[in-house]
Amino acid sequence: MRSFHRGFRSFRRNYARNIVVVVLLFVCLTFSMSMLAVKLAADNQVNTIKQEVGNYGEIEISSAYQLKQFQAERTKTAAERQAEARSMSTAQEQANRVADLVPETLTDQFAKDNYVKTYDKVLQTNVTLSDITNTSIQQLFQIRQGDSGGPGGTSSNTNSFTFAGNTDGSAASDFTTGAKKLVSGKQFTYSDYQNANPVVVIEKNLASDNKLTVGDTIEAQISGGSGSQSYVQLKVIGIYETVQAQTQSGSSSGGGGGGSSQSFNPTGNTFYAPLSVVQKLNATPGYVQLGSYYFDSVDDTAALKVTFKKETVTTSSKYQFATDLSDYQTIADPLLKARNTSMIGLAGALGACALIILLAMVIIISGRTRELGILKAIGSTDRQVISQFAFEVVCICLVAIILAMGATALIGQSLGNWILPKTTKTATTQTQTQAQGGPPGMTGGPGTQNKLYKEGTSFNAAASTQKTQAAKLNVVYRGPLFLYGILILLGLSLLGMAIPLVWITRLRPARVLSME
Amino acid sequence: MTEQEILIVDDVSKTFQVKAGEVKAVDHASFAARHGSVTTIVGPSGSGKTTLLYVIGSLEKPESGRIEVAGRDILAPGADLVSYRRENIGFVFQFFNLVPTLTALENVMLPMDLDGIPPAEQRRRATELLEKMGVEGRLLKAHPNKMSGGENQRVAIARSLANDPDIILADEPTGNLDTATGRVVVEILTGLARKEGKCVLMVTHDESILEVSDRAFHMTDGILGEIAA
Repeated sequence: MRSFHRGFRSFRRNYARNIVVVVLLFVCLTFSMSMLAVKLAADNQVNTIKQEVGNYGEIEISSAYQLKQFQAERTKTAAERQAEARSMSTAQEQANRVADLVPETLTDQFAKDNYVKTYDKVLQTNVTLSDITNTSIQQLFQIRQGDSGGPGGTSSNTNSFTFAGNTDGSAASDFTTGAKKLVSGKQFTYSDYQNANPVVVIEKNLASDNKLTVGDTIEAQISGGSGSQSYVQLKVIGIYETVQAQTQSGSSSGGGGGGSSQSFNPTGNTFYAPLSVVQKLNATPGYVQLGSYYFDSVDDTAALKVTFKKETVTTSSKYQFATDLSDYQTIADPLLKARNTSMIGLAGALGACALIILLAMVIIISGRTRELGILKAIGSTDRQVISQFAFEVVCICLVAIILAMGATALIGQSLGNWILPKTTKTATTQTQTQAQGGPPGMTGGPGTQNKLYKEGTSFNAAASTQKTQAAKLNVVYRGPLFLYGILILLGLSLLGMAIPLVWITRLRPARVLSME
Repeated sequence: MTEQEILIVDDVSKTFQVKAGEVKAVDHASFAARHGSVTTIVGPSGSGKTTLLYVIGSLEKPESGRIEVAGRDILAPGADLVSYRRENIGFVFQFFNLVPTLTALENVMLPMDLDGIPPAEQRRRATELLEKMGVEGRLLKAHPNKMSGGENQRVAIARSLANDPDIILADEPTGNLDTATGRVVVEILTGLARKEGKCVLMVTHDESILEVSDRAFHMTDGILGEIAA
């Protein structure tokens, strides 16, 4: 304790010399701490991004296979296609029906991988509901026909609806992204999927136009079926609303311009039902459009791709495991680059700190050799002298690091922005472009090849905003920064002590005291 | 060793290795000193006086011989030389060797601080010693660079007495002082021997000090020879 007191006193008394060392250390430590703050911020944000992006994948029909099928079909004439359809056996028809689907055995097997956290299966198909009419689309058709002046019935189009099936209604991407929300009734559950309960969730405007409420029943026709067995009675258990439809309705009523209160809802023809029910309606039991997976982190992508490759080794390139890795890379790359740059800066600045403290201690100790000799001559042990000088070094480093931490709080964000700016802007633009790219539609559809099921089928503005925000680097004080600061302090102090330690143990007071 | 002999130097030799070969700084030196005595060693520069002093003060280790202080063989294996320096020896140097960043008072407190004496006791005793040496008032808080050579040497003597040692080893105590001041310092040192029973061993060029010495030695090329009274 007395050695510490002597060390502190010595630190105070030698202020002019120590201030020079403190200032030099302060400059380098401020740079080090700022770089560390940038690194920690980047790490933290990359980890946050990892929880939201890059940890999603889906097994689906590969785009290469789809293209191949498309090109094969294009070479055929209409007559050839009709002849082919007429000559098909029932088995061939069924094979043709599932040609663009993924067997559940594959998606189920893949879900057993240890990295997979959540698993869902999705199938979307068009189903004819003879009792229901999509009035919005009917109006559109009428407008178009009015413009062209031609006759034509639209009943077949306005009675055709999209049925989206998965294993749990609340996990459907449109609802998880916030693009759609349930306004009355309830969602179907995993139990409904397991028991193939004929339940359905419908859109608000559609329900209103067709005077449907929760508890009503609608009749749906099984694809390719005929006779009384080809119909399924579906019970409406919930009504949803699209966020965009809600916004449009709000803005038109609040506009005061006498605009129509009726809003165009392009997704109003989508019904949500248990996967098993949709499979029944599509007459494709055991097949899905895609298997949807969330796994631990983007870091598991490579391992999962290996697993996928092993499981699809016999099916060649028919299926693909598509992930949102590119989304992750677009968002995280600028942050990772900033982190790497900050690491280099940190290493350089810490190296400079080490050099400064070593050189400073050499100068300080060599200038105080006589004092060391005196201390030893009057009965000071090596330990006492080393403790005294060690405490002086700690004081120097402590003052420098406290000042540096304060300065880091002031300049950390600016330094972060200086490292990041150009790449961030690029990333933001790319993300927005990607989110807006292509018309709303199902995965794998034309123009939506980059769109994954998890992003929802349309109106996913929320996800775009989230990505844009994530690409910014927020350099704020975090607990680890303080801990690293203490570690740097200890490291520098230990390094600084090395010089006195060697010097003091080797010093011979008789030599020093004889000098004038 | 008689009852009063506090220091016995017996056949001590110390050699230094230099480029030209070996230099025998102390060559089989032997003498003894009693409590309350002033012993002086004179000789030309490089004769080995200071080396002998440092050997006695355990700052140098001799090749051979025996040094006994208060009945303790300080060259024995495992001897605690740090506590020996702290408890038995007080050094006074030609260039004072005060710590420049400490005040006069703090310089005198320093050996006591190293010995673990409580701060209040350190302060009381250091003030008392400095006042005895004629350093008082504002000089207590003065730094070495603000004091004269004589004042610095008084502070150095006070520091050497801080832990009440048996032996005061003074290396050219007047070498850096004017004649009058040097005389005062010598008076102080002899006073310590006469009044407080300290064993004072001085090495010097100044042969006038021989007049106040109880025993005097002449050293040439490391060989110690007693000067007859």
